[in-house]
Amino acid sequence: MSALVLPNRRIENWKYTDLRNAIDPAAIESAPTAAWNVASISGAGEQNDLPEIMPRGKHGAMAEYATSLAKSGVFLRVARGQKASAHLQLTQGGHGRALIVVEEGASLMLRQTSLAEGFANIVFDIVLGQDAALSHVKEAPMAANAVRVADYSVRIAPGGAYAAHFADFGAKLSRTELHIALEGEGAEAHLSGVGILGEGRHADVTTRIAHAVGNTQSTQLFKIIAGGKSRGVYQGKISVAEGANGSDSRQTAKGLLLGERAEIDLKPELEILADDVKCAHGAAVGDLDPESLFYLRSRGVAEPEARALLMRAFLEDAVAEIADEAVRTELWSRVEAALAELSA
Amino acid sequence: MLEIRDLHVAVGGKEILKGLSLSTAAGEVHAIMGPNGSGKSTLSYVLAGREGYEITGGSIRYRGEDLAAKAPEERAGVGLFLAMQYPVEIPGVTTMNFLKTALNAQRRARGEKEIDALGVLRLVREKAKALHISEEMLKRALNVGFSGGEKKRLEILQLALFEPALAILDETDSGLDIDALKVVADGVNALRAPDRAMLVITHYQRLLNYIVPDRVHVLSAGRIIKEGGKELAHELEAKGYAQIVKDAA
Repeated sequence: MSALVLPNRRIENWKYTDLRNAIDPAAIESAPTAAWNVASISGAGEQNDLPEIMPRGKHGAMAEYATSLAKSGVFLRVARGQKASAHLQLTQGGHGRALIVVEEGASLMLRQTSLAEGFANIVFDIVLGQDAALSHVKEAPMAANAVRVADYSVRIAPGGAYAAHFADFGAKLSRTELHIALEGEGAEAHLSGVGILGEGRHADVTTRIAHAVGNTQSTQLFKIIAGGKSRGVYQGKISVAEGANGSDSRQTAKGLLLGERAEIDLKPELEILADDVKCAHGAAVGDLDPESLFYLRSRGVAEPEARALLMRAFLEDAVAEIADEAVRTELWSRVEAALAELSA
Repeated sequence: MLEIRDLHVAVGGKEILKGLSLSTAAGEVHAIMGPNGSGKSTLSYVLAGREGYEITGGSIRYRGEDLAAKAPEERAGVGLFLAMQYPVEIPGVTTMNFLKTALNAQRRARGEKEIDALGVLRLVREKAKALHISEEMLKRALNVGFSGGEKKRLEILQLALFEPALAILDETDSGLDIDALKVVADGVNALRAPDRAMLVITHYQRLLNYIVPDRVHVLSAGRIIKEGGKELAHELEAKGYAQIVKDAA
């Protein structure tokens, strides 16, 4: 018998995602250490072994297992004032750790992909120094039997900017937690993501953004398309600390249901303890608009193509958040392939 | 070209068209005039194949074929075009991309070669000019933030681009000021051709001063109650629908 208690829907934070249904605790306990491959690194990026003492941010329950069970990990660092780009690839699942440090005034363009098909439980610590910039694009491929849990803790110093895009093409279960701490004035976090879920998939994105000090900014734009019998979840909590005046926070989450067996749960939350803040949030779930569909079809566009066009349009602004044109174009090609599969 | 016989159409279980008959030949422009609620929009939607418009009796034949059996995209493929009263706004799809997708979808359906992006751009630019449609407008999301007049001009641009055999214009004049109306009417008149039929659906006679029809049909309570030449539109304007309906009864 395993002693592990897996997160489940009785825990508020895991209300919509029950790991117990997807994997056996024994499989988690016996999972190997994940393997990484730094597929490319250019500019002043350095790759090292994990340091003895890790900077630790706020993490969720599964991250504790990853931290204690992963025997090694990957550490990317960009030294003060330097620029780099890197492509980090998870080549084998299991428990994994990664540390990304972008020092004062430095910048990094990070692409993260995965070849793992089974269970993966990854914990990321990301530290941005003063005026540092990290552009992070993560792609999780379609993997029918994969159970993937990832937990990112991002700490951002004054003037630092973190822009992240998470694309999820569906797994048996996927849970992504993002714990963002805006720790200094002028710190910014811009999160976006798309989820394209076919039959039997479950994807959960849970974000926790803490405006610890004033004059910090966060934006979020997440879009989920759920087809077949699938479930998409977005829960996002924004906390503005007492005295963190001038904080500006925007959060949008939208879901598109393609059938009656699909489900999308969106749960935005605000916890504001400061007086002078700007917070705007919106969440909506809908179907493909029949009038739009008819309009396109009446112009000769066949139904599957019209549906794919409308789905692409639904995702457009979220994908457009990716600043790097080459990365964005590449992601679009995968998004379009996934949409074609979904409308077929 | 179009042969409608004793057409009965129900929407949500309620009969709207109650035995409508109409036929048009190539080269002709027919006007269908009728008051609100007479079934004008139902006729245009049932011709274009919108869901929820149930044909409960009669037939629609287009070039000898049963139109009702075809999906909306197939109707476009065989040359039917409906310029809508309320064109739909679609955020996230640029107007230019939409035009290219639709044009090539129709060309594929007709077994014609697709036109590449540059070719479509050239074609659209050429046709957009006459309709006072700017480059900037073509870059915007489809119909999003367009004024009423811009939306109608974009419908006519599609008419010019797709070159359909049968064009149905549903209340194309609604919401247009006189200058915009002239631009739209000029656009439509330029497309009158011996191999093309047009069905102009309107509440008011005003549009027919600019697009002069060969035949006028008066629609009331789901049936054509009167037919005539272009002078019928003037008679309607002078007498009003109520009198014409009374006369016909």
